[in-house]
Parts: sequence; C-alpha cells; structure tokens
Amino acid sequence: MARSTAAPGAWEAPAYWRSLEQRADDPRVRDHYEREFLEGASEAPEGLSRREVLQLTAASVSLASLAACRRPVEHIVPFVQAPELMVPGIPRHYATTLPFRHEALGLLVESHEGRPTKVEGNELHPSTLGSSSLWMQASILDLYDPDRSRALLAAGEPSTWEAFTAAWGDIAAGLVQSGGQGLAILAESFSSPTLARLQRDAQERFPQARWATWEPISEANAEAGASRAAGVALVPDPHYERARVILAVDSDFLGTEAGVVLATRRYAASRAVDDASPSSSGMSRLYVAEGIHSLTGANADHRIRVRSSRIGAFVAALAAELARQGLGVSAPASASPVEGVSAEQLRVLAADLLAHRGESLIVAGRRQPPVVHAAVLELNAALGNVGRTIEYRIPRHRQESGETLAELVEAMGAGRVETLVILGANPVYSAPGDLAFAEALSGVANVLHLGGHVDETAAASKWHVPRAHPLETWADASAADGTLSIVQPLIAPLWDGKSEIELLNLVAGGEDRSGYDLVRQTWSGLLGSEPGSESFESRWLQTLHDGVAEGTAEPAAEAPVSSGALQELASSPAPGGGEGLEIVFAASPALFDGRFANNAWLQELPHPITKMTWDNAALLSPATARTLGVENEEIVTVSVEGREIELPVWIVPGQADETVVVELGYGRTGAGRVGDGVGANASVIRTSRSLDYAQGATVRSTGRRHLVAQTQDHHGMEGRPLVRAAALDHFRDHPHFAAEMVHTLPPSTLWSEWTYEEGSHPPPGVRERVAVDVPVYQWGMAIDLNACTGCNACVIACQSENNIPAVGRDQVRRGREMHWIRLDRYFSGSEDEPETVFQPVPCMHCENAPCEQVCPVAATVHDAEGINAMVYNRCIGTRYCSNNCPYKVRRFNYYHFTKHTPEVVALANNPDVTVRSRGVMEKCTYCTQRINAAKIAAKREDRPVADGEVRTACQQACPAQAISFGNILDEGSVVATHKRSPRNYGMLDEVVYTRPRTTYLAKLRNPSAELAPPAAPGADPAHGATGGDESDAAAGGAEGHG
Amino acid sequence: MSALFGPGRGRRAIVRCARFGVFGLALVAVLAGCRGMPSPWPPIHVNPNMDDQPRLDAQQASPFFYDGKGMREPVPGTVARGELRLDVGFYTGLDAAGEFLPQSPVETTDEVLARGALRYSIYCAPCHDERGTGTGILAEYASVPTASIHDAQRLAYPDGQYFDVITNGFGLMQGYAYPIPAEDRWAIVAHMRRLQQERLERLAARTGGAE
Repeated sequence: MARSTAAPGAWEAPAYWRSLEQRADDPRVRDHYEREFLEGASEAPEGLSRREVLQLTAASVSLASLAACRRPVEHIVPFVQAPELMVPGIPRHYATTLPFRHEALGLLVESHEGRPTKVEGNELHPSTLGSSSLWMQASILDLYDPDRSRALLAAGEPSTWEAFTAAWGDIAAGLVQSGGQGLAILAESFSSPTLARLQRDAQERFPQARWATWEPISEANAEAGASRAAGVALVPDPHYERARVILAVDSDFLGTEAGVVLATRRYAASRAVDDASPSSSGMSRLYVAEGIHSLTGANADHRIRVRSSRIGAFVAALAAELARQGLGVSAPASASPVEGVSAEQLRVLAADLLAHRGESLIVAGRRQPPVVHAAVLELNAALGNVGRTIEYRIPRHRQESGETLAELVEAMGAGRVETLVILGANPVYSAPGDLAFAEALSGVANVLHLGGHVDETAAASKWHVPRAHPLETWADASAADGTLSIVQPLIAPLWDGKSEIELLNLVAGGEDRSGYDLVRQTWSGLLGSEPGSESFESRWLQTLHDGVAEGTAEPAAEAPVSSGALQELASSPAPGGGEGLEIVFAASPALFDGRFANNAWLQELPHPITKMTWDNAALLSPATARTLGVENEEIVTVSVEGREIELPVWIVPGQADETVVVELGYGRTGAGRVGDGVGANASVIRTSRSLDYAQGATVRSTGRRHLVAQTQDHHGMEGRPLVRAAALDHFRDHPHFAAEMVHTLPPSTLWSEWTYEEGSHPPPGVRERVAVDVPVYQWGMAIDLNACTGCNACVIACQSENNIPAVGRDQVRRGREMHWIRLDRYFSGSEDEPETVFQPVPCMHCENAPCEQVCPVAATVHDAEGINAMVYNRCIGTRYCSNNCPYKVRRFNYYHFTKHTPEVVALANNPDVTVRSRGVMEKCTYCTQRINAAKIAAKREDRPVADGEVRTACQQACPAQAISFGNILDEGSVVATHKRSPRNYGMLDEVVYTRPRTTYLAKLRNPSAELAPPAAPGADPAHGATGGDESDAAAGGAEGHG
Repeated sequence: MSALFGPGRGRRAIVRCARFGVFGLALVAVLAGCRGMPSPWPPIHVNPNMDDQPRLDAQQASPFFYDGKGMREPVPGTVARGELRLDVGFYTGLDAAGEFLPQSPVETTDEVLARGALRYSIYCAPCHDERGTGTGILAEYASVPTASIHDAQRLAYPDGQYFDVITNGFGLMQGYAYPIPAEDRWAIVAHMRRLQQERLERLAARTGGAE
C-alpha cells in the first residue's frame, strides 16, 4: 500500500484499508477510488437484468404504457362511514409485538390511514427500548411481499378454509379415537402464552402425538448449558452495561445472537466516555475469541483468533490460568495450549477478569455446545458476576420440551407418522442435508403446512394454509425478562392468512375460533379475571395501548452452580482434526436463516464485514486461501461427508485459518421472485449431529468464476483521515486528538459564511416578510463512532422511511446501490489480525456545499435551516453534484427503479416522501418530512420544537444511540452537547472546508496496556508537529491525489 | 449569407420556406380546429415529473384492495397510541353490562349547553330542525322521514341511547362519530335534553294557561 512517509515526529494516522485489493494497491480497485462513477456505471446494462429484482407484475405494466403520455386520472376514494379517530393524512401509531423465534420484539408501528408503513421500537418494551434491529425494520416489506401465499392450497390447487376445516374434522375424528397415534406437530420455537396453552391442549387431546421443534438457528445450546449447570431451565440475561471487562467466546452478541437490540444498547452504554472530563473517562474492554469474523469481533479491543472447535479448549485454558492466578474454580492445574492463543494473552486476560470481579462478564455463543455454556456459567459464578453482570431467568411460555427434528425424521422414516402438522417452519429447505427430510416427508400421508409463502415445504405438503404476518394477527409473546405483551394487528390479513394459534387451536380443539378470542381467553387466565369484567377490560386496553403488560417482568432466578463442566472441558479431547478444514455455519447478518430471503432490502444490504450483497460465499482467511490456491470470486465446491455445494470464495481478513465459514439463509428455491436462486443453500452440507460447525470439509476449485456484488470499494474517499480513532489512554492525555490529526492553515472560502441567523441567505425581499418571532432552527447531526457497532439497522430504517429502491445484483456491481446512509468499514493493521472501524456516512449537509455550486439548474440548494435540499423536479440528471461531492453520498437513479412496483409493494412506501423517478439525483434529506411534521405540530401548539422531538429514521432505529440530531443553536440540545465534545470532527472539513453539519465523534478503543495491540490506532502518543503533509499521513489508503 | 442567396440556392430556399409556411399554416389550422373539442382522454402530459408515484396518499384509490379504497378500517379491538379509552361509558354511552347509560357522564353547564347548541345547529339541525321536530330541509325537500325528539318514544330514551344514535346512526341516519368528538356528542345530548324540557315546559305553560 502506497503511503507517503510523514514528517519525522508527525502524528501518523493508522493506515486504513477497505479491501485486501486496496491494501495491495491493486490497479483495478484504485480505479474505484479515482472515479465517482464506476466504469460502466453510465452505460446501459446488457439485457434488462435489473428487473430480476422486483420482476414485474403485469398489472401495472399495461397501465403504465397506456397512460404514459396522458395525465394520470386520480380519484378521491373517501370512507363512506369514516372511522372515528382516523384523520386522513395524519399517521397513527400502534404498539404491538413482533415474535421472532422465542424473542418478543416490542414495536411501535406507524399507520397511514389503516395501513402500516414504518416500524419502530416501542420505548416501553424492555426488549427494544425504542430502538430496532434491521429485521424489525424490514418486517414491513415482508408484510407487503407480493410473493406471499395468497390462497389455501389442497394438493397444489386453490381451496378454501371451509373445505380445509371439514377435511381436518375427518382426520381429527380418527386421531381422537387413537389418542393421536400417528400425529406429529412440528413447530418453531415461541414464547407465546397462547401457543403454550394450545400446546398443552393439543397434548391433552392427543396424548400419543409427537411434538417436535425445529429452528435452523437456535439458542438451545445456551439454555441446555445453563440448565446443565444449574439443574433447571434458565436463560441468560447479560448486563453488558454493568461490566468493565467483557469476554465473548464465539458469541456475536452484537450481530446475530438473540436479543441484539438490547445487547447493543447495553454494550454501547458500557462504552460511553465522559467528554466533559476526558481524564477521568472509563469504558469497558471487550475481548473476543472467535473463529469467524463477526460484527462483535470487529468491535473488540482485543480479538483472539480461535477456531470454533477450539473454543472449549480456550475456555479450559483460561480457567486453568484463572485458577493459577488464584481464582477458586475447580479447573485442572494445567491445560493444553490452544493454537493461536499465546500464554501472554491468557495471562493478561485472566488478570483483567480477576481485577474486575463482579464487574466482568463472559458470554458464550450459540454455536458452542452446552458444556461450554455450563463452563462459562461456572466461571462467571466464580468471578462473582452472576446476579451482577449476568442474570438468569426461568423461561416462561415456551414450548414444552419436544423432540428434535432428527428424532421426528426417524419416526417419519419408520412409518410412525401419518399426519404431520408443520406450524410455520420450512424444514424441506432448512433441515440438515443428512436427514433427507424431503424424502421422509414423502412417506407421510397427510401433511398440513402453515407458511407465509408457497415455499419448499408447501410444495411438498398436501395442505398449505397461508400464514398471516405478525402485523395482521392477534397473538401474544413474552420478552426475555418475562414481560408479557400482545400482538395486535395493524391491518386485516391481506390474503386471508391464518395465524399459528388459529391453526393450532383447530388442531387441538377442533373448533375454528378467531385469534382475538383465543388470546383473550389466555389472558383471562393470566390476569385472573373474566373477559367482559371491568378489571379485565381496563387491563387489556392498557396493555394494547402500551404494548406491554406492566409489572409482568420476572425477577432474576437463583442460578445454583454445580461444578464439573470445566473438568469435562479440560479432559475432552481435541476434535479429530484429521483431513480437511473446519466448516462453520453462521447465521446471515441479513437473511438470518432464510426466512427473510424474499426481502429485497435485506438481500441488498451490504454484509457488515464482507460488504457482499445478493450472495453468500465460502469465507476463507487470507492464509488459508493462499494455501488452497484460490482467490476471490473463484467458485469452489465445499463438501462435507459427500454432500457438496458450490460457492464463490470470499477472503475475510481476520478469520481463523483452516476454517471455511458458510452463511445460512441463501439458495432458496421457494422464496419468491427476489430470493430464489440467490447464493447456495448451506443446509445441504449441515449435519444433524453437529449443526453449527464440523470437521473434515474440503474445498476444491472448479476453475469457474462468479462475479460477486460487493460494495467495499464503492464510494471510496481517499487520502485523508476520514475515520479517526485512538486508544482511551491517548484520549485521556490528548482529548483533542481528532482535531489534531490534521493541521492546515486557517481555512478560507470563496463563498459567504453561514450566519446561523434566521433565513440566512434569503432572496431579496424575503427577509421583510419573515416574522421575527418565528423560532430559528439550524439542524445538525452528530454520529458517535465510539457507540456505533456497525449493525446496519440505520441503513434499513432509512430505506424504509425514504422509499429507497433496491436495485439488484447487477446494478450493485455497477456501483448504483441507492442507500442514503452507508456503513463504511475500514480495516487497519495486518490482514490476519486487522482492527475494524465502522463509519456511517449519510449526506453531510455542508454549509459550503460543493454540490450546490455546480448544479446548473439549482436543483440542490440550501434552505434557511441549514439543510442541503434536493428539488427533485428541477433535477435534469447532469450528476455534476455527485462528481463534486467529496463524501460520495449522492445517489443517482440510473433507471426508473420504481416504475414497475407491484401495487402491494407500493403500500409499503411512505406517503410523506416522494418516490423518485429516473434521471433524478437523491440523497439524505435529514428526514425533512419528519422535521416538517414536528414543526407543524409545534406551531399548532404555539411553541418551539423541543429537543428530541425530531428524530431521523436512522437515529430512531439506532440501538447504540450513536446518532444525535437536533437544533445546534439550542445550547442544551443533545446534538449541541455532542458537537462540543473534544472528539468532535468534521470529515474532510479541514481539507476542503465544507463546514459539514453532520460531524463525527472519534472512536476510542480500550486495549490493555500489557497487550500490545497490532497497530492499534493512536497507540503512538506522538503528535502535534506542525506542517507536514497531513493528507499523506492518511487514512483511506490509496495514494493521495488531492 | 451569400451562399444562402447564391445562384440556384435562392429558389430552393424560397421553395423550402414556402413548404414550411404551408405546413405551419396547416398545423396552426389543425391545432386551432381542436380548440373546444371535448376529448374523453385526460390531457397529454409529456413529462411525468413524478406526478404519479407508486405510493398511497390519503384517500387515494388502490386497485389492490377489493373495494378499491386505499384507506383501510382499523381492525376492531385495536388501540392506537394516545387513544386509550378506559372510560367505556363516556365513549360508548353504555355501561359495563351493555345497557344505555341513564344519565350523561358530563355535567350540564352553561358552557356545555352553548357548545351543544352550536354543534347541534351545525350537524343536526339540517335534518332534525333547530327545535328537534324532525322538520328540517331534508324532510321538507326530499320527504325523508326524520325523527322528532319530542315524541313519547324518544322522550323516554336514556341519555346513553341518544349518544349511541349520534355515534353509530339509526335507520337512514349515518353515525357521526368521525366528525363529532365524544365530548361534543354529550354536549349535543345535553342541548337536546334542554330542547325537550323547554318544549314540555311550554306545553305545560300553555295547557296550564288554558285551564
């Protein structure tokens, strides 16, 4: 990598790089950085492959072509009998709950005229506290998925619910006589009181029936581990905010583990520093030991590369070291060394944990076997953390323990299952390949499938019942802390779907009852009063209104710890390495287990680490790729036990060697027009014995190549310290390090400076008309890089709020992705042990905006409140503005991406935001529609807009609360406080003097002083020499040309 | 310039000009001839200009839904934020047992009566007449049978039933829950009670005077 040498003694910023190619100064990638638009971005594609994205329904096509030159005819269609509280144009908000596996995510859903359009977190619900995850945000597009199952199918032919209930009545009559012999029910995991009640009913009615549970990505290991150590079923509830030292072993608690929203909120709280007194600031320290490169590893202060199969040995070695240093655990005195972990690392880690007894926290990940979780519980108990930084709760309202999928398949194969009821799961797609589920299913006479799509399993079922989306159903759920909440529908089912409680009630009770009645029946038991009684009704209404039943949280349970797991762990032999690589099956950070495969927003979301879109890959470490002689985008055959899939290679810096990581959720064949045929299905090479990682995988090159649509080199800004980070110790001594990283002459500009007064640059004659007592707002944003974990929730939130289209794989390859806020991911250090920094980049709303100076038609202009506004109707698409933007945040509609939006997908669009057309430039508007809504509301009440009243979509979603927004003239506002922080800096401001309204608070790391981190940013305290060519001592990598 | 008017070129130029002139005149004539002619089609609209966007604005039609309405009724039983209505009697006119409230939950003050009179004259008087006799313009012009609040049957209505009729409608009458907030509906009930009482007093005074 070409980096100029800085003047001796000058501050040397760490060299950041986005891709291995950039690090090696590959000329192909250099081109990405020197051009605004990628090569070919301005040219028409061959064929119209963009249509693969939302391949278009015919209905709107004919309409569009016929009416193309005529003014569209619009009709006003009012209500005949208007609902009482619905004012057209004024959105209302409903609290509800999104059941996600056994999680209950509290939502507050915006509804425009009875149609849900935007999902936010419910601030009263303990699982979200008002923030949201990308899956919560994307659920709105799932609701309006045009490929959702539209009709009940009998043997593939459309049928009716009445015909189905009649048919089931016949089957059930026989089953009741035999006590349920031959009946099996396969469910997903849940935490619903009503489902739990109906499960008990079903088992009472059919005592001989089987009940099996299948989740492709399950938390069963953690729960089994806790119950193994404590003797009762327990779920851990880690309080990261109370911990000073956190060790995550193979745990992606910031990415794909259960409860990410709450975990991110708590973790970010533990990382907060006091900007007012930097010298006394403290923050937690995160150690991560992992084999894959997860989002959590990317946030670590110290990341230790340990293969997933060696995590157990690592925990045993740590326990031995802790015992050696004086902790009373029943660990063996010595443990075998673990490859990749030095004795020094273990010593420092153990000493750090011991120095913070009661303030440390060890969490183990979902992939690890129960014994590791039990061992971690033992260590936490010995360190005095249980009850302080980690609590355990008895899970309520879960399914009664049932069979595993493997046991069910065995029974199916033996002909002991005649009737199989599948409640929502999609095992034909997601079952491990060795079970051959589809074959076993073909031997079952009656298969009833409830599913949202006519998916792989539906195609193999006798009956398929369309499943209603959670935003269409009555249901209930309990959160991790036991808090109960109700799922209330936002809209009547679009396609007459049924919920799982309605179907299970039909199975269990034989009656066809509405979900509303079933949930109320359950809650009459929970609340101890009859429906209709005043106490019940008022409690019920209050719960619906708030989205939580107050006072239902459970106290933490005692976690009695029995020892033994550590001993077992130490004595268990290393996994038979033998031939081949270790293969790890990870949840996709976008599609999860494939249930979101038909969601174009998530397909197009760049992976937090690899920045890949629209694909999964065989992820390899750089060294392993060299050993195997494969390079990026080369298609390889990954085979395990004779089953194989083909995947392109993607090299991930920082991944453990000798490991191939494959993400689940891709390779669907029954997802719909978006998800089908994207990537390869990793379930095929999973085995039921070792679901999460296995040995003996082989990787062979096929010699073919597959072009991967990845964005890691897109929108690159080069040559200057864009992202700024330092160690906590350095920050204490040099609070203003971020500003000191760049030294320039006092800036000057050709243009008049922003004055911050009312209507700063009014056209002549306007000033007189502006009333003087109009409140003055100057909007600004601050993004705390220290809080940001890179979770991508803001990207999807912005896409949902601002009607941003997905453009498809081919268009992403050409650099035409439309995200208004992108997450830049920078590596620094070596390719084996890189450090990672994330930087969300929306429009900076520069006061001296370069884009405005070059627009020939004044389509991008400043408004009086400091917003760099886009006037879409003026834009003629010269793209000069984008060329002149140093931040690369402008997005151009190369095509009419929304032209063929299916009618039902149009319902997901925000009516308050323009849906842009071809040839128009667009970018972040600071959610100007939200600003105006707040200003109108304030004006009606004759008061100024209060701080916190306007929240941008990204800010509201952010679970780390990294983004603050508001009036920078209000000294007391959060954003003004942040902008006074010594860590505050404007990206490129010193160099091009754009005066950005969006500024960043520099990132801090908290590495241990005893462990020299590999090229940790800011490890070198020398700084402050004047002069020098700062733009060369630079982040961003490639040779500066500025 | 000289090339334009050079030998041989001048005539061609003149011919060309003449051709354009004829064409232009014909065009003007055709276009002018179209003036005032009705067309079943909406006007020609060359630049779509994002006038029609794939999103649903308030009161817009949507072919997706069976009834063509883009606006949807809220699902019965759901509660939106800020719309918690624990005081069932106040918002429905019914008590816990589902019976009409005999008495209005709102105390009858001069302000309530004034508000009720105003709302009554806006929403009720066009049909029911200012005196509540059911002889408003609708009855007068369209012979729509309109109820009087002064007949024996309706004098016996409890307050809650009046509230219920205003809220949900009765017979041909539409419900007025959307345009009239609940407190105004109770104010109208109070006003109607006063109308009834005044009429009874007048009757009593008249019959009393006769005796």
